[in-house]
Amino acid sequence: MEQANPLHPDGESKGGVLAHLERLETQMSKSRKQSEEPQSVQAQEGALGTKIHKLRHLRDELRAAVQHRQASVKASTANVEPNLAVEMNEQEVLEEKLENVKAVLQAYRFTGLSGKLTSRGVCVCINTAFEGNLLDSYFVDLVIQKPLRIHHHSVPVFIPLEEIAAKYLQTNIQHFLFSLCEYLNAYSGRKYQADRLQSDFAALLTGPLQRNPLCNLLSFTYKLDPGSQSFPFCARLLYKDLTATLPTDVTVTYQGVEALSTSWEEQRASHETLFCMKPLHQVFASFARKGEKLDMSLVS
Amino acid sequence: MDAELAEVRALQAEIAALRRACEDQPAPWEEKSRVQKSFQAIHQFSSKGWKSSKDLKSQLGHLESELSFLSTLTGINIRNYSKQTEDLTGTEMTEKSIRKVLQRHRLSGNCHMVTFQLEFQILEIQNKERLSSAVTDLNIIMEPTECSELSEFVSRAEERKDLFMFFRSLHFFVEWFEYRKHAFKHFKEKYPDAVHLSEGPSSPFMVIRSASQPGFELVIVWRIQIDEDGKVFPKLDLLTKVPQRALELDKNRAIETAPLSFRTLLGVLGIEAALESLIKSLCAEQNG
Repeated sequence: MEQANPLHPDGESKGGVLAHLERLETQMSKSRKQSEEPQSVQAQEGALGTKIHKLRHLRDELRAAVQHRQASVKASTANVEPNLAVEMNEQEVLEEKLENVKAVLQAYRFTGLSGKLTSRGVCVCINTAFEGNLLDSYFVDLVIQKPLRIHHHSVPVFIPLEEIAAKYLQTNIQHFLFSLCEYLNAYSGRKYQADRLQSDFAALLTGPLQRNPLCNLLSFTYKLDPGSQSFPFCARLLYKDLTATLPTDVTVTYQGVEALSTSWEEQRASHETLFCMKPLHQVFASFARKGEKLDMSLVS
Repeated sequence: MDAELAEVRALQAEIAALRRACEDQPAPWEEKSRVQKSFQAIHQFSSKGWKSSKDLKSQLGHLESELSFLSTLTGINIRNYSKQTEDLTGTEMTEKSIRKVLQRHRLSGNCHMVTFQLEFQILEIQNKERLSSAVTDLNIIMEPTECSELSEFVSRAEERKDLFMFFRSLHFFVEWFEYRKHAFKHFKEKYPDAVHLSEGPSSPFMVIRSASQPGFELVIVWRIQIDEDGKVFPKLDLLTKVPQRALELDKNRAIETAPLSFRTLLGVLGIEAALESLIKSLCAEQNG
């Protein structure tokens, strides 16, 4: 005759969880009673009760994951023989742990830096983003040797990788990677702005957008009102700080022969300021919105 | 009442033990060299098990060392992560070969004594030309909430939907926070009668008072600021409290110019040396 399962998982776990719930219940009703009584002595006890409740909640949160795992393991071994139960326990615990670790590893890309261990060392993945838009990723494959060395990478050639590596790689990997992150994120952001300008606001551009690979020197001509006969504005944006996504030097000029009227001059000056303060494609988005308003006034 | 007090003590001890497991990591500013060292150690461990082992345990070990490396590198310890995907592609979109997917992510973890819980959504749109991926919603819950210096920064990160800036700045903020705490504790231990931390070592205030010169007080305000771009930097100020009579006697206006002089001192000596020199100057008699 088969022996009853010595672990008695159902009974034990039910007793454990039930007892826990009962304790919580009594504590809740106790603190509720205390909060109803307004006297100062009871108020003191009530404050204590609330404190206990808060502490318990915090402690329980910290323990919650472990309890859950234990409960699920016990439940799954309910109808299995003792020896198998022990083995399956371990197997399932390991599998669940493995799944959790894999998931958490996936999550690291949201910090901007993630990576995988390799037979030579580590391959670090740098993710870039601009204003919530997730952009390109780059990798740097590091070899653990003395000295630490970059085996290969996907960093564009115009990013000063060697410079940054020379400064930090041997003494402080973290600083090296954070610094590289700064450069790559800024480059990605500038590239994103230039791409958006070209794709979304081609109607306002009167010529091709001129840009260098590093996207820190942009030159273009534009008109607020494409239909008008006026000469376009010519803008030149220079981003001296390679870790920034806003330009450091902006010049907006007028290509026409006649001098600008005051209102046009004001507009030209305000555009210079705008390009310094807001991302390129957002400036053009505001131009487009103003244009729509103008059209409406013509119609009515 | 006694039973409840005992329970409070027991709970606090338990929480402290669980928290210590988080805080047991070395001081963050020491981690810079620790990353280099752990890098070597982790590589040694994993290269042993590298020859493709299907065994669950060694696989787990390998991944856990990967996790340990990332946690040390980023300064962020992620403990839980889950994701849900919802396909929003309508029939119209499929005809134009456009695909729209909404991902819901939830992750939680800690950065030393700060715990965080993030919920965010990412909308992926795939059309013929490109795949675009954007964070469409970001919610951040942080504890402890008393860290007022952080709450403004958190709102900004949520508004900008800037995940990377959030994590990077959090890491540096906590580094400075722990360094300030360590420095304040150090001065309290070295000069117990002169240094007063009325709100504890985690607050931005350190008061220097000389027992032999009551009425004179120097208050160091050491704030940790996070600017618009997410850069974290310390900002120190000196406040003086002196008796009226002393002010009248101060012909050289030393007290008036003290805050400015302090800034200069900081630039010359650095934070710790500047603070130490202030303590010594006020308590010269005591130490003599």
